[in-house]
Formats: sequence, structure tokens, C-alpha cells
Amino acid sequence: MPTITIDGEKYQVDGDQNLLSSCLTLGLNVPYFCWHPEMGSVGACRQCAMIEYKDSEDQSGRLIMSCMTPVRDGGIYSVNAETAKEFRGSIIEDLMTNHPHDCPVCEEGGECHLQDMTEMSGHTMRRYRGTKRTHRNQYLGPFINHEMNRCITCYRCTRFYNDYAGGNDLQALGRNHQVYFGRQQEGRLQNGFSGNLVEVCPTGVFTDKTFSAHFVRKWDLQTAPSICEHCAVGCNTAPGARESGNGHDPMLRRITNLYHHDINGYFLCDRGRFGYEYVNSPTRIDQVLSARNEELIGSTADTKDQLHRQVNPRDGVLHLSVQITAAQRKLRRIIGIGSPRASLENNYALRQLVGLDNFFSGLNRLDQHLLQLVNNIHSDNRITSPNTPEIETADAILIIGEDIYNTAPRIALAVRQAARNRQKKQAQDLKIPLWQDTSVRQLEGDPSPIIFIGTEFTELTDIATTTLFESPERVTLFTQALTQEISKSSKQSTEISPEFQKEVNHTAEILLKATNPLIISGISSRHLDTLNAVANLARVLSNHRKVPTKLYLNCGEVNSLGMIQLFNEKEGSLEQLMESLSVSDKEIPTSLIVLENDLYRRLDTPSVEKLLSLVDEVILIDTLLTPTAKRANWIFPASTTAESQGTYVNNNGLAQRFYAVYEGKGYIQESWRWLVDAVDFCTEKSENYSVLRSWKHSTDLSDALAREIYTLKVLAEIGPNEDFRIDGLKVARQSARYSGRTAIHAQQHVSETPPIKDPDAPMNFSMEGIHNPNKTQLQANIWSPGWNSNQSIFKFQQQVGGERKGGPSGKYIEFSQHSTQDSNVSEETSVKPTETSNNLQMLPIYRLFGSEELSNQSMSFSEVIEAPFILMHPDEISQYDTQEGELVDIETNCGNYRAEIKGSNTIPHGCIGVPFGLPGLESLAPQIPGYASLRPAVTPAISEEQ
Amino acid sequence: MLTNPLTKNITKDNIAADITRYLANDGYQGWRKAHSMAPDDIITLVKEGGLRGRGGAGFNTGLKWSFVPRGEGSPKQKFIVCNADEMEPGTFKDRLLMERDPHLLLEGMAIAAYAIGASVGYIFIRGEYHLAAERLELAIEEARSRGFIGNNIFNGEYSLEIFVHRSAGNYICGEETALLNALEGRRAIPRAKPPFPQVSGLWGKPTVVNNVETFCNIPHLVALGIDWYRGLGVGQDAGSKIFGVSGKVKNPGAWELPMGTSIREIIEQHAGGMRDGLRLKGFLPGGGSTDFLGPDHLDLPMDYDVIGKAGSRMGTGTITVMDDKTCPVGLVLNLTQFFARESCGWCTPCRDGLPWVVKVLQRIENGEGLPEDLELLQEQCERIGPGKTFCALAPGAAEPIQSALKLFERDFLDHIKKGCCPYK
Repeated sequence: MPTITIDGEKYQVDGDQNLLSSCLTLGLNVPYFCWHPEMGSVGACRQCAMIEYKDSEDQSGRLIMSCMTPVRDGGIYSVNAETAKEFRGSIIEDLMTNHPHDCPVCEEGGECHLQDMTEMSGHTMRRYRGTKRTHRNQYLGPFINHEMNRCITCYRCTRFYNDYAGGNDLQALGRNHQVYFGRQQEGRLQNGFSGNLVEVCPTGVFTDKTFSAHFVRKWDLQTAPSICEHCAVGCNTAPGARESGNGHDPMLRRITNLYHHDINGYFLCDRGRFGYEYVNSPTRIDQVLSARNEELIGSTADTKDQLHRQVNPRDGVLHLSVQITAAQRKLRRIIGIGSPRASLENNYALRQLVGLDNFFSGLNRLDQHLLQLVNNIHSDNRITSPNTPEIETADAILIIGEDIYNTAPRIALAVRQAARNRQKKQAQDLKIPLWQDTSVRQLEGDPSPIIFIGTEFTELTDIATTTLFESPERVTLFTQALTQEISKSSKQSTEISPEFQKEVNHTAEILLKATNPLIISGISSRHLDTLNAVANLARVLSNHRKVPTKLYLNCGEVNSLGMIQLFNEKEGSLEQLMESLSVSDKEIPTSLIVLENDLYRRLDTPSVEKLLSLVDEVILIDTLLTPTAKRANWIFPASTTAESQGTYVNNNGLAQRFYAVYEGKGYIQESWRWLVDAVDFCTEKSENYSVLRSWKHSTDLSDALAREIYTLKVLAEIGPNEDFRIDGLKVARQSARYSGRTAIHAQQHVSETPPIKDPDAPMNFSMEGIHNPNKTQLQANIWSPGWNSNQSIFKFQQQVGGERKGGPSGKYIEFSQHSTQDSNVSEETSVKPTETSNNLQMLPIYRLFGSEELSNQSMSFSEVIEAPFILMHPDEISQYDTQEGELVDIETNCGNYRAEIKGSNTIPHGCIGVPFGLPGLESLAPQIPGYASLRPAVTPAISEEQ
Repeated sequence: MLTNPLTKNITKDNIAADITRYLANDGYQGWRKAHSMAPDDIITLVKEGGLRGRGGAGFNTGLKWSFVPRGEGSPKQKFIVCNADEMEPGTFKDRLLMERDPHLLLEGMAIAAYAIGASVGYIFIRGEYHLAAERLELAIEEARSRGFIGNNIFNGEYSLEIFVHRSAGNYICGEETALLNALEGRRAIPRAKPPFPQVSGLWGKPTVVNNVETFCNIPHLVALGIDWYRGLGVGQDAGSKIFGVSGKVKNPGAWELPMGTSIREIIEQHAGGMRDGLRLKGFLPGGGSTDFLGPDHLDLPMDYDVIGKAGSRMGTGTITVMDDKTCPVGLVLNLTQFFARESCGWCTPCRDGLPWVVKVLQRIENGEGLPEDLELLQEQCERIGPGKTFCALAPGAAEPIQSALKLFERDFLDHIKKGCCPYK
């Protein structure tokens, strides 16, 4: 490690870093704008000037840009030299000739990097007497505000948006001091990572428009570490919440990135950043609701929705406890349906209440089998699950049947970085440091091999070296042939055409030649054979290379992989539940407790109706008024991720804890607390109930899970329990500057109300306690003196861009309990679509906005979610007497749907692409892969009024 | 002995020397000879000939070529690029060469391309140079039809294509790495160095970028040899050069003269001296981005190092003369407006500093200047000095300002004191 001298002090530094990041790693304050820890140096802003001295004799030294300077062993530098300070001040003075003095009305104010750097530079006096340049702003969509007058032209936005995220509709336009960062025409920014502009921009040009609707300053936000619940990647977030001043309920106000080295790094996708608004949605359940009796009497087993009325929560709990007591006396059966979007704790509480025999996953059989298969694959020691930095450094990537941009977006961003690995290799050969961003990017650098086979490869085709758009059957065939090719097995498939075999050979060659190959797949193509074939491929590749194969598998939902741990050998699908119900004793009434799940997204509608007809009562604990909620007899309001504490297991098997950011409105509480409350009311004594009764804290459940379920034993080590203290103190959720403490509830009561107590975490819903994120990762308010913006994260990293101080949060669960034999899910349990008179096979396609249940309820998403549509190969559309853009009627065994038909060359003949979970077509998703027929929509003629 | 290799085909008439006339006057002899030589020998010859880049920086051309990776394992595709984006204020030498003798440039490019192993050449030409572009395109067709460029030149294995690319117009495109970005269709912003273009240039391939006049020196250097070439110069530097004079002289224009010709000879003999009634007050020796020199520098020879020692740069060698009836503040304002407008917008001191300087100069010129404005100008010149900005544009822009502040301080003070421009 080189030793350098800065302002007379000797330091050991990492030779691979530039002088600026070395200084920051050492904790020195050097101001900067254009440099970004993830995007490297370009030398544009000139803010990070320092002095370099030739030797100890040299008195005056030379002005250098520290971001563009490699550290030299024995180098002598100065941050504090007068000439450097003066120059840095002059840069601020130059920038301020155009930057408006609108901080009081600017939403960046209080977390503005420009404010911070201006302060740091010490520049206080303006000598400029001229006018400022002004720009017109653009409409950029429902997520992002544009205020170009504030621009300091650091080029971070276009560098992130185009170079890093692969966007192409945000450009630097014009020249000199008139450079304009915008689109050629107004319109929504198309790239799914556009929200990062809000954090990447050092000032208030790009700000969060959803936050604007209920804006408060950063210091007025209450925050806690959380996990994004909108896919299974497990990105860490720092949601911010605050009461409204008019006495209304507290609300979730925004999501920002919370650095996690192994997962999200510095960036989130737009679904994760802007999908939070569902929490404040008008369809949010915040009361205990009971179906009205008159409706109940009138209804038989038909499909009529229930009408609900608010009831005293006590009545609801009492009702639940009566049912539980009856069950204890064998007078009633209680079935529990869990959910992959509910925390481990909530799922476990329900399982504990009803017993494993009566506990089901809330997934259909196919999804359940797919997840079990993923779980089996993870338990194979020839396979490892790569984290984001590992994906970014892979030198060959094969993606099988997973449209990652839409299903696991942050992983797509990682793959995009991997595409540059040959370029980076060339840079290393030329001894160009990798942080020299423009230098590296201008190298010739062939694209690194990225091979995709599947239905859609959204937003990544530009970096793919091979794209094969094939049906799931052909994808399986390809994967099997590839496995044979790699294992040099003599058994040659006869079904393969020579052209197809050529692609297979080409792919095999790339995988075998690579030093660090990687495979990405998942459950999204809803095809067991494909997933089995992928697993075999990974095993064979591992046998061949003698190291475990890196295989990233996407599991779909935030806690899919966690929930499946609760099922051991049991299948637990909804189909199994129906089978069990149809043979059970009809004399005993049945209550169904549905936990945070919309059954209509899991099963086709007739099956849901059948299931509901087999039970006597439906009790739902959930957050939103879903179609299932409309059928429930009792509804209990569940807290969302931001309002509760719990544990999710991501695609890597990383169990991560999320903490309540704020107490939800109304009677919202964690689902498990409703169950424990009900048990508390029970008079019946049972060992099981005393366990439930003993649960007072969220960590009581995670500790119990750790004890009971081998694979989850790490749950006991993930986070501190509520007794944890630092210097005798809890962690403050509010910043030290949090305003309005004594006034915010003044209209309710003149005396200051004590803050609500958190029974689950060693954290206060107040400004009292530990604020320093270096003392605990429970502190999600990333702030350091002089560094009010999110740029301050480096103060809490071991080195710039490295792990957080205190190590990575979360623990990997143990998969090793399962047998590691090459067992595929057996043929008889594998679900095959039954071909009917309907002739078009439905293939699932995914959308960043529209495929995920919760985020679809966010207000800003209404503008970006597409109207119902299906995709078909353009050559085939005319065979159905219609054309692109027309409405068609889709008929399946389970219903009729109307959607626009769009052409797409990626859809194989004889298939249609059906957008998974898209509003209007939600109930089509569980029918995939099934068959449908198509005909032009016949709209009833509207009689013209005379 | 040939003493005017650059202009020997240029006549009074505004016509281009066509292929017939060019060949009749020993055209393409240098290329023919070079083609029979080993590429490395050509590079050595050019290096030892002492040819220094005529774009303004004065770097040894052969040395520049020698940085291109050669031999086993080096990239197959390489490029030769001609910087014909002549936009330096007061400079018009490349235009003359391209409009009147386009084949000379093509021949020079062919030799350079062969020497470094490039099979494609681009002439990046200033967008306003319509005539030059048309004549070059015609010349390329002529040369191709005679087999001097195209496939299997001189029936050998070597092939070369040359294309004319018309610039969309931006002074910064004269900076060779910004030029490469523009040629690739990107924003014209200078690139970070290293890597230098010789290693990773156009589309990441090894690339040599030379000025028009530099290429035009090569055919005769190769054909007639080092001794002849060195003998052309009368001072320290080798070869001849096109010097020009603009401003209120009797006979503004451009002439091919030996390197090291004295400034006095150029201004007084070739440009005919100042117009009647005017005195020379100062001059920019090599274009708008060089420091002013005064009358006491008139006897200096036009050599790169001599002018450098005098506190300016020889730059493009085209002198802009300022007389005693022209307001120096107005002149500097005009120049700075140009540089502020042409800033690519990449780095802060240039992008935001120059418009501020323009506003201050405008204020002084309008008679609204304050005494502290001179201090501010001085400070701004230091801020945009060498090493503080990303490329050389802003330091170049600072040169006339800082030297005017020194040489013509009286005029600046008068503007401020009198509250008006004394020249109006």
C-alpha cells in the first residue's frame, strides 16, 4: 500500500483509488461535484483541487484535480494549502454566477450537495454583477421535477442515465454556459432507473415529484432501515415519514436509497423508489371491517362481493378468538393461507396458530413447485448465488427465460455494468485506472458476452451479444443441449436443428472459456422444465470447472424464498388445500385466515370461487382492498413494510430485517399482532397458545423461527433485539433538527404527547438517542456534519464504495438441510398446461410498472401503467382478423378478457405474451402457461342520439 | 533548390491544382517513394527531419507517429485523421492549402497513413469551408481514379480510403480528442488523457491526428530528404511555413516563408507595413489564443521556442496586427466573446468563467467598469490558466487578456477613468 503525506500527516492508502477517494476514505473533507463513487472521475467540475508537491523541498507545489490523480507512493499533497482553497472557492464563485439563490423554496435545500460544498469551500462573497442564465423546464413524467436554472453542469445526470443505466432520452444539449440537460421533447423519462437522478444530481435540478406532493425537509423526516418490497432482490431503502401538521395521520413521504454493498449499492429502480405510495392509497385498509349481516344472509355461494362496515377492533379480535377457541375444541377447522409478500414473522405466526397441517402458502401449485425447486437448487453446494458486485464482475453471462429488467431490475443494472468488463480489462492492460471513467469508456473494448434466451429481454438488447427469442419448450431444449455439450455427453438430442446447435455450441464455448461465468434465471417464465434444465446446466458446469457455478435465480416476490422455508416436505399449494377441503368433514365449519394475499392473483377465478365456497368464513389480514378483501367476512388492517418490523429473505438467501419507520394510521398493526391479540382473548389453555401469548416483540418471533426452523437459524443474529442499547441509549428515528415536536399535536392537546413506544426495535419514534450511523446500522438517516446530502454515505463506509462500517447487514440462511442429490421435481407433480380447443399458448411477460401488486396502487403509477394488452408475433395478427392496436377478446377456460393487441417479434408463433399482473388482466396470470383463443373485440353498437 | 514546397502549385487564380497539373509538377513522388520504404523508416525520417506540428502546439510529428503501437499484437485497424477545423481567430492558412492544392494534403495523408498502418483516413473540415471540402472531394476522386488511394495502391497490398467529414461547427473540434468525439457523433468534448489517440483514438483504435499544413510538409520531406528540409529553415526550426498577417496592414495575406523568418520581415516586407497614418501597437503572433507581443518584439524570428521565450506562442503563425487607432479593450472583448461562446461547457472555469470575463470586459468597454474589475480580470485569467481547466481552450483564451492587461493597462484604466471608450 502506498504511503502518502497530506498536509504533513502520513497515511497508508489503497493504490487503486484516486487521490480524492483516498482522502474521503481517510475522512478528510475534500469538496467535489462531478466525481461519483460508483461512476468514477471525469475532471469536469474542478472542485476537488488539491496541491501536489514534487518533493519535500517544493514549497509552492502544483494545482491538481484530486479526482484525476492516482496516488503515488511517497506523494506529498495538501488539501488546506491556501492556493488550493482559493481555487476551490473560485469554482463555487463561478458556479454561483448562474445558480439561483432559491434555496428556501428549493426541495433540495437541507440535503443539497451544492449547499454543503459551498459551505465547505469557505466562499462567502459574490462579486458577480451580471444577470443569470435561465432555462425553460420540461415535463419529465410523474416521477421527476425539472428545474434547469439550478443546474451546475456537473454532467452526473447524463453520465448516470446514459452511460451507467443505458438510457437514451436524456441528453446534454447545447454548449458553453447554456448546456441544457433534458429531453429532445417533453415527456416521461423512459429509463426505469430515472429516479436515481434525484440522488445523483448534486443540487435541485431533478427532484422527486411524488415527494413534492407531500414535501418536508430531510431533517423533518422520520426514518429507519427498510427493505424494498416490490421484488425479490432485497434492495435496502430509507423510507421517510412524518405526521402532517394539520393533525392528520402520519404518512410515508418518500423512499431513498440506503447503501448496501452487496445488493443495491448506490442505486434503486423506479418501481422501488416510487412504488411506496400504495401505503397512502385511498384503497388502504386502516380499520377492522366486518361484512354486513344482511348481505351475508342474502348471499349463497355466488360471486357477489361483500359490503363491509367498520367495527370496533375489539369486536373483530373477539370474533377471531371465538373461532380459535372453537377450533381448539375441534368444533371448527381453521386454515391459514400465508403469503410470499408477508414477512417471515407474520407467516410463522399464522403457521403457529393453525398448525403446519392447516397452513398453506397461498401460491398455486406451479409457483409452489418452482419455489421448492429454487430452494433445492440453492441447497446444492455446486451452486452459489452471486451478489451484485459478483454479477458486475462476471466475464460471461447467460440469462435464461428471465426478463430481469422487469422482474429484478437492480440485477439488470448490474448486468449492464458487466457488459463493460472486456473494456475494463483493456484499460487495465493499458494501465489506465478504472476510475478514469471517460478514458475507460472511450476504449474500443469489445462487449463482454451476454447471451439471452427467452421471451423478452427489455432494455438490455443493446448489451446482449446474442439474443434468442424462443418458446419455453425451446428454451428448455436449448439449456439441455447446452448441458450435453458442456458435459460432452454422447447423447445428442435429435430435435435440434443445425442452426440451433450452432448457438448451443457457441454458448458452450463462451461459458467454458470464461474465467468467471454466470447464469441468471428464475421462476418468471413459469416453466419447471426450464428451471430443472438450468439447475442441471449449473451442476454440469460446476463439475467441469471444479468450482461452484454462480447462478442467480429470481424468485419473484419479496419473501418468496423465506416463506418456502416454512414448508419442509409439505407442498402447501392452494390446489392441495382445495383437495384437502373437498375430502374433509363437512360437519365441521371451516374458517379461512388469509394473510396479506390476494387469491385472485394466485388462482384462476373459478378456482378461487370454488375454494371460497368450500369454507364457511374468510378472515383477511391485509393492507389494500383487493378482490379477496371484497369476499372476506372479516378484514383486519395489516401494516406495510414501512410500518412494521420483520424479516424478508431475498433471491440470494439473504435474510434482512426491516424496521418500522412510523406507526401506521388507524388500527393498522403487524398481522401477527392481530393473531396474538385474538389468542390473548381465548380462554382455552394450550401449549401452542401460550407460545403465541408469550410474543411481545417482533424479535420473539424471529428468535422462535431461528430455534424451530434449521434453515432460518441465522434469524437470531440479524439484528439486535429491543433491549439493545448504545451508551445506554436507543437509536433516534428523527434527526436532531426534527421540528415541531411540541406543536405538531397542539390542536389535539396542549401538552406534549409522549412519543409512541416501539416494542420491537431499540429505536425511538423521537429525536432522542443515537444519531451517528457509524455507531449502528439501525440509523438510516445518513448524515454527517457538513455533509447533509446522501453523499455523506462515504463517512460510514470502510472505504469509498466498500462495505458499511460494521460489516454488511443481513445474514445468509442455510440451505444445506435439504438433500443435495440431483433431484428434479418429479414428472408427476410437474404442472403441464392442458391443451384445449384454445390454440394459443400464453407466455408470461413482465412490466416494471404493472406486474407488481402493491406498487400498482401507487398514485403516480396510474400514468405509467399500460392499458391491458397482449403481444403476438406481427406475422400472425392478421390471421385473427385484426391488426396491431385493435382490441381483441381473449377467451380462456376461465373467462373472457379484452385487451389491445400489439405486435412483437420476440413472441414465438402460436403464442401470445400476457402481461403478468397488469391491472385488468390480473386473473389471467395464474392461467399461464395455459391456452387461450382470440377474436376481434365485438363492441356493442352504440345508437347515435338524434 | 525548391524553397516553396507548400505553395509551388498555387497560382494567383482561385482554382485548385488538378491531378494533371499536380502530377506534372512532381506530384505523388513522395508517396511513391514512401511506398517503397519500410514504415518505420518513414517515421524515423519525419522525426529526424524536425517537422513540428503546424496546428500550433509544435510537437515533433515523427515522434507523435512513433507512439502508435506497431507489430505483432497491435490492433489491425488504425486511423489517420486530418484536423482541418481551422477556426483559430485570424488564421486562414489551411484553407489556402486545401482550396488551391488539395492533392498535396492527400499525398501527405497517404504517406502518414502508410507509415502508421492506417487504412482509413478522415479529413475533419470546418463546416464553413464549403469550397475546400468540394475541392478535396473532387481531388479524392481524381487520386482514386489514378490509383494513389483506394485498393492495392501501386499494385501493392496496401489500401487506403480517405473521407471528408464536414464539421457541424465548433471551435473545440480543433482540439484533437474533441475532434475524435465529434467524428464519432458524440458531443465535441475533449477526452481525458491518457490514453492518447495514438493508443486509443477514433472508436478506440490507434489514431494520429495532424494539422493540414503538417501533412502538406510531408511529401517533399520524404521526396527530397532531411538535409534539404532542414535547410529550408533560417532559424532553429526546420522547413518552411505559411505565415499570414491580418489587421490594418497595407497588404494582408499569407506567404510561404522559411521557418525563423523575422516578424518584422513578415509584417513590413510581405504585408507591406501599417496602413498610412497608423502605428503598430501590438500583435498576436499566432492566432487569437496567443499572448500579445509589442513593437519591441518585431525582430524576433518566427521559431516555436523563441516566441515561447518571449512570453507568447507561435501558434498557427498567422499574425494579427493591432494598430494604435483600435481599442484594445474592444479587441480583447471580441476575442473573449468568441472563446466564451465556443467553450464546450465541460469544465467550470472555462464554461462559467469566460462569460463572466465577457461581462466585465463589456462593462469596461461601455465605460461602466470599476477599478477592481482589473483585479477581477487578472484573477479570472489565473483561474483559467494551464492545469486548472480540462483542456487548453481556456488557457488560450486567457492569453490575449492577460497580455493586454499588461501591455495596454493604460487603455483599460482610461476606459474606467473616463467612463467611456476613448477610441470611439
